[in-house]
Amino acid sequence: MISARGLTRRFGSFTAVESLTLDVPDGAILALLGPNGAGKTTTVRMLAGLIAPTEGEASVAGFDIRRDAAAIRARVGLVTDVPGLHEQMALPAYLDFFGAIYGVPRPLRARRIDELITFFDLQEHRRERMAGFSKGMKQKVALARALLHEPLALFLDEPTSGLDPLAARAVRELIVNLKRANRAIVLCTHDLDEAERLADQIAIMSAGAIVRYDAPAALRASSSPETLVRVRLAAPLADAAASLASLASLASLSGVTLIASASEVAAEVAYSTPDPDSVNPDVIARLVAGGARIVSVTCETRALEDIYAEAVGARDGGRPALTAIAG
Amino acid sequence: MTLPSEAKAARPAFTPPSDARVTLLIARRAALESLRDRATLLSSATFVLLLPILWVLLIIRPTALSGHVPPGDLGSLITIYLLIVGLLPTSAATGVAAGQFAGEKEQGNLAPLLASPASNAAIFGGKVLGAVLPALLYATVAEISYLIEIAVFIGADTLRLLQPALSLAMLALVPAIAIFAAAVAALISSRVRTYQTAQGLASLALMPVFFAFFGLTTQLQSWGALALFGGVVGIALVDIALIAFAAATWRREEVLARR
Repeated sequence: MISARGLTRRFGSFTAVESLTLDVPDGAILALLGPNGAGKTTTVRMLAGLIAPTEGEASVAGFDIRRDAAAIRARVGLVTDVPGLHEQMALPAYLDFFGAIYGVPRPLRARRIDELITFFDLQEHRRERMAGFSKGMKQKVALARALLHEPLALFLDEPTSGLDPLAARAVRELIVNLKRANRAIVLCTHDLDEAERLADQIAIMSAGAIVRYDAPAALRASSSPETLVRVRLAAPLADAAASLASLASLASLSGVTLIASASEVAAEVAYSTPDPDSVNPDVIARLVAGGARIVSVTCETRALEDIYAEAVGARDGGRPALTAIAG
Repeated sequence: MTLPSEAKAARPAFTPPSDARVTLLIARRAALESLRDRATLLSSATFVLLLPILWVLLIIRPTALSGHVPPGDLGSLITIYLLIVGLLPTSAATGVAAGQFAGEKEQGNLAPLLASPASNAAIFGGKVLGAVLPALLYATVAEISYLIEIAVFIGADTLRLLQPALSLAMLALVPAIAIFAAAVAALISSRVRTYQTAQGLASLALMPVFFAFFGLTTQLQSWGALALFGGVVGIALVDIALIAFAAATWRREEVLARR
């Protein structure tokens, strides 16, 4: 269980994290999203007992981050934003070093190291110095180091960064398995899809504060319920007057909001509606009546990307403003 | 894919080892890494192999062969050079210690250690020890090569001129001063942001200290071996106090917070 109340960290006059409150029960994943400098890494470092908070309280695995930081460090696994390896060492020696520091008994340590090296598909590189490892391989080593002592809680800062798609998938599956094994996990990521797929809760941070915090489905529901519909035409409508007349009539349909008017040579029409099931047939019928030959109709519900963009202040970042694209 | 150990429920945390054990683990890792570092190895090789030969060929041999210097004075000269020959390779410890905190922070590999349950004292002590151990190895090789070169280029009989008590005191001074230098460098390194700053400040701080040590040693030598041993004990106590102070005042929670 990870719990924070009013957690704040200042660096001089700069506030990196302000009044952060969150809860991550055992067996749950919290995804921390936010642009660079939003305060994700500082949050993770505070919760993992690496840096002291300026204000506020937090507990991890039942220990207070101010009073029992050492006990917390013994019980959590941390993957930092950079792998941070001693690159002159060989992989097993490096993992053995950290295993010994965490007090993992020698026979278990040897078994765990073998398991992790096999899991991360690094068997062929056991004898090499890690200086020659690729970015993805280094990331795997950092993950192996974080898992070596079977931590109760995990703080993963960009865990799939630099990994090839298959390795990234394996790591995601591992994260899900760790969650099922009742670990509390905080996942910092820029990969919104990854966050949506893995997390039970998503916290979007901006300028040191949590600006949105909810389950992925609830985040979607709490934002605009509208569906963006795109109708692609086989060719630009030659008859501009008919096209405009047809489009003008769309606006009169209930439940439809035209995002912008179409140009004379529109090859795509886009609109948003809260009720696509009943609106789309009418819209398509009117377009066809206006002479349009329809290639495809696509419906997009509001993506996490849009919610994220809105939350961090880039309101125009996610959704196209153009509704009628010149052919 | 599932890791067998991850499939079961969370287990209680392992009991971290004692501070002494963690200190040794950290020291061993740091020492091995510094022994594998080619730049450190190359600069140390200069002190270990080249300088003793130069001392012997350019200073001691001409002095010995001139016939103007009494055997007792020649013995004192050879004995004093034991300290210099041993001390020069330990300057590598200063560079290594300067990189232990600031350098590792710059490279990003300090965070995993800070995130571990290792105590401040174990981390600090381990890093100082890890900087000193390779330096002492280099110093040992330099001393041996110095004595062999005296035997080869001047004659094995010359070694009989070494004053045993004074020689032992000189040899004991080498680790005492090396630990002092490494502790100062590590203390500075743990409180600044960059390796360059740490190295620059450490050199600046240690230069006058080295001269003071050398002056003190010469003075103590004139008072006899016992005074010199007293000096060694004094420096060792200062080393312990310095490391204890540095570890006690070092706040690991502020290392990564420094911007």
